[in-house]
Amino acid sequence: MNRRVSILLLAVAGTGVTLVYGADPLPSAESILDRYVQVTGGKPAYEKRKTEIAHGTVDFPALGIKGSMTRYAAQPDKYYYTVDIAAIGKMESGVNGTVAWENSAILGPRIKSGVERAEAIREGNMNATVNWRKLYPKVENAGIEVIDGEECYKVIMTPDEGQPVIGYYQKKSGLQVKLSTVASTQMGDIPVEMIASDYKNFGGILEPAKVTQKAGPQEFTMTLDRVEVNPVIPPERFALPDEVRALVDKAAAK
Amino acid sequence: MEKAASHAEAQAVMQEMLGRLKQSHFAIIPATVYSVLDNEGEGPGTSGIDARVLDGHAVVTSVDPGSPAEKQGVRPGWQIERAHGIDLEPLITQARSNPAIHELQLTRAVLARLSGPIGGTLDAAFLDASGQTVNLRLNLTTPRGTLSAFGNLPAQHVWFESQRTGPIDQAAEYVRFNLFLDLPRVMASFQQAVESCKACDGLIIDLRGNPGGIGGMAMGMAGFLVDKPDQRLGTMYLRDSTLKFVVNPRANVYSGPVAVLVDGCSASTSEIFAGGLKDLGRARVFGTRTAAVALPSAFERLPNGDGFQYAVANYISEGGQPLERLGVAPDVVVELTRAALLAGHDAVVDAAMSWIRSQKKP
Repeated sequence: MNRRVSILLLAVAGTGVTLVYGADPLPSAESILDRYVQVTGGKPAYEKRKTEIAHGTVDFPALGIKGSMTRYAAQPDKYYYTVDIAAIGKMESGVNGTVAWENSAILGPRIKSGVERAEAIREGNMNATVNWRKLYPKVENAGIEVIDGEECYKVIMTPDEGQPVIGYYQKKSGLQVKLSTVASTQMGDIPVEMIASDYKNFGGILEPAKVTQKAGPQEFTMTLDRVEVNPVIPPERFALPDEVRALVDKAAAK
Repeated sequence: MEKAASHAEAQAVMQEMLGRLKQSHFAIIPATVYSVLDNEGEGPGTSGIDARVLDGHAVVTSVDPGSPAEKQGVRPGWQIERAHGIDLEPLITQARSNPAIHELQLTRAVLARLSGPIGGTLDAAFLDASGQTVNLRLNLTTPRGTLSAFGNLPAQHVWFESQRTGPIDQAAEYVRFNLFLDLPRVMASFQQAVESCKACDGLIIDLRGNPGGIGGMAMGMAGFLVDKPDQRLGTMYLRDSTLKFVVNPRANVYSGPVAVLVDGCSASTSEIFAGGLKDLGRARVFGTRTAAVALPSAFERLPNGDGFQYAVANYISEGGQPLERLGVAPDVVVELTRAALLAGHDAVVDAAMSWIRSQKKP
């Protein structure tokens, strides 16, 4: 699970409609997700963003390992994400619209398939925040839970393919503060929990500058330092690396 | 426990309780055994000697090229009688009397006795090939390899070697490394070695003495050797998740014979790698049974000085067997002997090479 995943999962929300909640009954899941778009910048702000490059750090405190991360994204469906940790090497992943892949110094290159590919393609949707209706056909408000002393709406978002994603949105602020799901990875289905905090304005959109993620036995924190808004990103940035291209060619030859 | 009148009684109760689990990696290590295993004089300095306990004696199994030991004429097969003024045989006998002490710990205890501060010296007594006692003062220098740090772990020297000369017939590539660490360098070196082996008759991966390291490296290295998709080395079961140790076949996979060499000091990631490739039918394993410590386990020192070992996960190799109880049993059992070492032979390498030759198509 990487920064790109968390950002997109955290950014699962919808088009902006002004909402006012009454005390009772519970607001609809749709209205909660729409409110999230609104409080984080509004639909126009998201739609103005055609490309972005995010820079940050990753920190695995239990292991004592730190590294840098960079995430490139372009509308509608491309991303390239790289994490560089001196003791481990480079870990890359990406979606070029059709092929979802990853390449790491540890496990080598591979092409994602099945549910894992479907999840990666969803994550590659740069406007996932405002496209939630397309990505999650079924959404449901499952009630209120208290997180860190704040009442939060618990919204279950179910995609066509893959496990449901549960987002927790503060009743007061509308911001998403927690997200949990079971991620499909090649090593198996892994429970993932992300805690989002320290929302900051990055080029007109509020994003959590700090996300602490527990994925199976690992816990790490991703810190977003800066975001370049609408930079020129050469198309080659989203091209398949040679090692991945070689796997595609090998599969095609069989 | 509350009724125990002595440490010994408390120890017996704890052992009995843990015994009911019928699992390895759950043990009480008596404080008296710690006094054998611990060595206050241990340090990073080395004379370049690697050793194993063979037939109850510490025996030199290899000498690093260019090391102080090599320069002073120490040879594989020499028996180490004394180090820093301490007789090794009583230490070995006492440690071997406790079934909780496996070969890996025993070997480490012996090697610790041969170490000391960098810049210091080791006064050691050996029995040479002719049975004569040889007393030597060996300088202790920086260990071989590159100092590599991984997070909170103490930095360790990591080395990697590959060759087609020396003890190996030129037809095979021989690869050896001491730890699954220094990931970027070791993975790149492994890739280079495998790729250079495209036309050779076989690949020998020597994991003897390799205590493991980063588990993921076993999966990554297997990707250079396994071409079939959707394969795995095994599965690790944790409290809240299950991790499949998958293999991602590379675009260019080595398809020739692969021999993996192991011994009782091959542990953890080495066992995952060797056991997985064996189970997949991709490698033939030579040597002696591995350390059977493939699980993540922790040691806590108890208030009375005893140690408490407990496992935090379970690992089942792809063949369905838990490595933690059984280790990896070689396909071909080959034990080192002092006589063969003195004659300049590594019987395990010889056996692997012989098998590789037998696989050669006419």
